[in-house]
Amino acid sequence: MIEAKKELRIPAERVSFSQRLSRMNGLKWLLLFVPLGYIMILMFFSMFDFFKMSIFNDDGFTLEYLAHIFTTDIYLKVLWLTLKIAFLVTLFSLLFAYPVAYMLVRTESGLWKKIILAAVLIPFWISLLVRTYAWTILLQKNGAINKLLMELGIIAEPLNLLYNSTGVIIGMTHILLPYMVLSLYSVMEGIDQRLLQAAEGMGARPWKAFMQIFFPLSLPGVLAGSLLVFVMGLGYYITPALLGGADTPMIAMLIESNINTTLNWHLASALALVLFVATLLLLFLAFLVSRGNPVLKELD
Amino acid sequence: MNVKNGGLSFLFLLLVFALVGCSSGNAEGSGKNNKELIIADWGGPYSEAKVKAAVVPFEEKHDIKVTVITPPDYGKLKAMVENGHVEWDVVSVDNDYAIRAGSLGLLEKMDFDVIKKEGLYEELVHDYGVPNDIYSTLIAYNTDTFPTGDHPKSWADFWDTEKFPGPRALYKEPKWTMEAALLADGVEPENLYPLDVDRAFAKLDEIKDDIKVWWTAGAQPPDLLATDEIPISVAWSGRITEAREDGAPVDLEFNQGIIATNTWVVPKGSPNKELAMEFIAFALEAEQQAAFSSNYDNAPANTDALSLLDEETISRLGQSEEKQGQQVFTDDNWWVENFDEVNERFQQWLLE
Repeated sequence: MIEAKKELRIPAERVSFSQRLSRMNGLKWLLLFVPLGYIMILMFFSMFDFFKMSIFNDDGFTLEYLAHIFTTDIYLKVLWLTLKIAFLVTLFSLLFAYPVAYMLVRTESGLWKKIILAAVLIPFWISLLVRTYAWTILLQKNGAINKLLMELGIIAEPLNLLYNSTGVIIGMTHILLPYMVLSLYSVMEGIDQRLLQAAEGMGARPWKAFMQIFFPLSLPGVLAGSLLVFVMGLGYYITPALLGGADTPMIAMLIESNINTTLNWHLASALALVLFVATLLLLFLAFLVSRGNPVLKELD
Repeated sequence: MNVKNGGLSFLFLLLVFALVGCSSGNAEGSGKNNKELIIADWGGPYSEAKVKAAVVPFEEKHDIKVTVITPPDYGKLKAMVENGHVEWDVVSVDNDYAIRAGSLGLLEKMDFDVIKKEGLYEELVHDYGVPNDIYSTLIAYNTDTFPTGDHPKSWADFWDTEKFPGPRALYKEPKWTMEAALLADGVEPENLYPLDVDRAFAKLDEIKDDIKVWWTAGAQPPDLLATDEIPISVAWSGRITEAREDGAPVDLEFNQGIIATNTWVVPKGSPNKELAMEFIAFALEAEQQAAFSSNYDNAPANTDALSLLDEETISRLGQSEEKQGQQVFTDDNWWVENFDEVNERFQQWLLE
């Protein structure tokens, strides 16, 4: 009440332009509608238009294309492999990103913080294609990693790291890692460090304090980062094409070949629709799981 | 009060400008002045050679501006034509795409009153496209592992892992892979098409465990061969001769090479259709073709250009009479009919 009165007493001429701007009703709505319209019109409208092609062709309504996908082994198999690779990439990104984000929050030294952030962000700014090609140099038979392992006597024969799912998972994890680190970091930074001190003060060992206090509080970041990486991983195209082998077709590659090579846009659209629905189902599943968690529930 | 209105109308103006900007862009596109020709090509040294050989002389001859953009995105071409907003006048595409897009009504018919068929390989000319240069899909190898002379000389050798030990690389597409398998199995080149798909897959089964890399980009084979990651690979001719000139220990074998082409097409509704046909005709003249092939290792589509090239270049391009005779033309009509089905089976086979 007192606060509000104070504010009322400020003479009109001392209210700054930006403050007045922020109080305008019309502007507030405009700020909402312009980006929202941008997303709705440009994305959903065109997506809807594209998906329409999966069930309509020149002869009208048809389930021909969807039926083709579900009756030909290859498409569901590729979808399954795509989901599997995206899942593994998410898992590995989480395993690597969690300690990094944790260090980033816990370290007292500003210098280290900067060094870690730079290490995470600089690759993020380098073109995806360049990073993918860099991996072919590192992973190939006579590449740096195999040479090093052989010099050290750890392996006698070069490992097959490239042109199979190992290569794809290594490459994609590396490229998607920053998304995971940043998602985790943004949530972890908001966790009150004094809670950990309090837990330790009451006799919890550091590991227990971490498991019972810090980790549960960081779950929203884990969920957000995992969903982000998983969904992005589903649509990956260049990295699997260059680092993968016979066992790593990704659904995006099949969609691309139908769009560009065979011009079968109906089938491409049906494939995209199946991928889209599968993704939505998985997101819904994640939502159901997160509903049971007390920390995540607060987000709603 | 004034400030408030000012702010709002300022934002409103911005919005209006943005919208007007969009629509004026459209207007400009459809009513473009006739003196600019847009060509969509593949880029890199390939396009540079074309620009030097044909585009710049054409600009000078007709006193117009020609812009080359990259890449010729097939999906985009279809979308452009279907939306009636065609920006490209001349596009370089794979020949099977030209046939497919032509039958879908996405392309203008070639004007053979302007474009001369003489000298062009008749296998590669059709209603909607003409070849702009040709290249081969063939056997390439690392010369340290297999010195030239003791190298794999046929697809049968490519399949013979006893005589030529080591992992192999193949193109991750059924096109040309099927042909290679059938030629390896002893099918005579003249009986190659229609492809015996069952027989090809049976032959591919024999070598599947030795295929370590299924490549997807033309830049991969020279790299795989140069580092000896793979000593024998399928490759595109121009990529290998280019690497060889850069000093990489790689070479190629023209025997049983499978010839394919990049095809010029004109999208339906191109704003400068006549000029587009004239450009294609000009680029196919022997002189321009020879100039292109002396700067880039794809062979001329116009055989008359060969008389303007020296022996060494002709041999390097695989166009000497001997080497030309050993090669087979891709039948893109067959592929257009059968690609979907064969490709599904091929992708399935890869996963088995």
